[in-house]
Amino acid sequence: MTRLPVPDRTRALTRRRHPVARVLGLLALVLAWEVLTRTGWVPPLFLPSPLGVLASGAEMLASGELAVHIATSLRRIVLGFGLGALGGVSVGLAVGVFSLAEAIGNPLIAATFPIPKIALLPLLILWLGIGEASKVAVIMLGVFFPMAINTYTGVRHADPLLIRAAVSFGAGRWSVIRKVMLPSALPMIFAGLKLGAGTSLLLLVAAEMIAANSGIGFLILNAQNLMETTRLMVGIVVLSLLGLASHWLLVRAERAALPWRPEV
Amino acid sequence: MRRLVAALALVSLALAAAPGGAQPLPKVKLGVLKLTASAVLFLGVEKGYFKEFGVDPELVYFQAAQPIAVALASGDIDVGATGLTAGLYNIVTGGVHIWIVADKGREWPDYNLSALVVRTDLYDGGVRSLRDLRGKKVGVTQIGSTFHYNVGRYLEKEGMTLADVEIVPLQGLPALNDALTARRVDAVATAEPFVSRLESSGAGRVIVNTGDTFPWQIATVMYSDKLAKNRALAVAFMRGYVKASRTYYDAVIARKSGPAYDELVALTARYTGAAPELIRKGFPYQDRDGRLMPGDVGRQLAWWHQQGFVKARLTEKDVVDESFLREALTLSLGFR
Repeated sequence: MTRLPVPDRTRALTRRRHPVARVLGLLALVLAWEVLTRTGWVPPLFLPSPLGVLASGAEMLASGELAVHIATSLRRIVLGFGLGALGGVSVGLAVGVFSLAEAIGNPLIAATFPIPKIALLPLLILWLGIGEASKVAVIMLGVFFPMAINTYTGVRHADPLLIRAAVSFGAGRWSVIRKVMLPSALPMIFAGLKLGAGTSLLLLVAAEMIAANSGIGFLILNAQNLMETTRLMVGIVVLSLLGLASHWLLVRAERAALPWRPEV
Repeated sequence: MRRLVAALALVSLALAAAPGGAQPLPKVKLGVLKLTASAVLFLGVEKGYFKEFGVDPELVYFQAAQPIAVALASGDIDVGATGLTAGLYNIVTGGVHIWIVADKGREWPDYNLSALVVRTDLYDGGVRSLRDLRGKKVGVTQIGSTFHYNVGRYLEKEGMTLADVEIVPLQGLPALNDALTARRVDAVATAEPFVSRLESSGAGRVIVNTGDTFPWQIATVMYSDKLAKNRALAVAFMRGYVKASRTYYDAVIARKSGPAYDELVALTARYTGAAPELIRKGFPYQDRDGRLMPGDVGRQLAWWHQQGFVKARLTEKDVVDESFLREALTLSLGFR
């Protein structure tokens, strides 16, 4: 019996991770950027050098200035995101489970969801003043809708077979909600959380650009007013790091909450 | 083939040598705010003073001083006429040249452009000076704006510093009005027509008039580096500006009435859409020949740097170039 070599024709489809290429690509970009600014072709006003941004960031970190901005922004995000997510999940669950809540809630959400939350900012400022409340409220609204809609969809897509199985084993209403519906809605809830995290950064910056005294959005607007492009880039880099950190945290939380799911 | 080349050469020569009269005048883009303070430039454009010296000005309207400085840096406009901000000085710090070339309006006694207005209830409660405003919220348009500078210098006159009040940037004059009316700030640094509106609505009372308190070079004419390098065009524009400035001075500052004054009011009303009563109140003082207040830009540079809003220690020679004005004045001696 002879062995025939069989070529693995799916090899081209396997996705390798190329960890070195990832880092090198990013490094090359930053290096090219630094070189471009060093040649003097582009004035630092239009394109500050990466090292300059780093130095400026370090200086602001050392003076404690950056810490104040980050702390203020984090407080607003955590409060707004937390309240919005909590409200969104509760409302989404209620609308998904109870028919009366669905009858009332669904049209309300459909009517208010498409309003860009930034457009509500001036109104929120009139109602709640220029202090913290209006800034937290706009982030809360921005997170609430994707959370409510995703939770609702997740609950509605719970496998009816599983629900029937649970009921036939004698599970009560609350038990079904807690042990079947909520877990099957979790992937959708986490998708909503990731969407909400992006939205909350966007709204944070918008809110902090109106009558704030600190925060990353204020730092960016201020740097723009003063035409300090290096500090402006520091603000943008901090925002991007905040985005990365929140994504990383959510992915971690998702793995912990959904151990049965394959890694994405 | 050779004949064809010769014919083409002839045609191109003929095109190049087209008669000078048919050539359009070189265009200069002129960035201004749609305010009474720009009256001298509206006058120069409307009366054809710039065209007289071979420059075709094109007005470009902006909403605030800072975008004009940015447009000068990016080369979108050639001339800017507006207030001096820390942002402008930071542009120069960032390696892009902008040149301050002539006077376009000063805070001057009896010609107040801006004021500090406090809430009426605080005024009635005894807040009559900056000393009484210690620790209070003072609204300005933007950090680094002329209004921010005003507040800083008022405080200094009282032996205080910016740290003695809480500066709240609200991004625009209408927002300042709303904030004071809604009592969300305790005082605002603002300008006409908003000062009059606040006083007539009863929301606020003026406690400092800038021009009466400390005169300074608030607004200037600025050139982009590109225009400054085109010396002939830059001087030609300046000759038109000097003529407009003298006409403006004679009508508004020296006479304050008469047909030339009324014509200027009507013309400014047409360009800005503002009411004539407001325009009469809003004409700024400026030098007849367009000369800058000696040393004032240097004082501003030092102050912004000392307060930490301009990173580099610039001097006047980094941002001021009055040579265009001097040359224009020499050339215009016969035009008095």
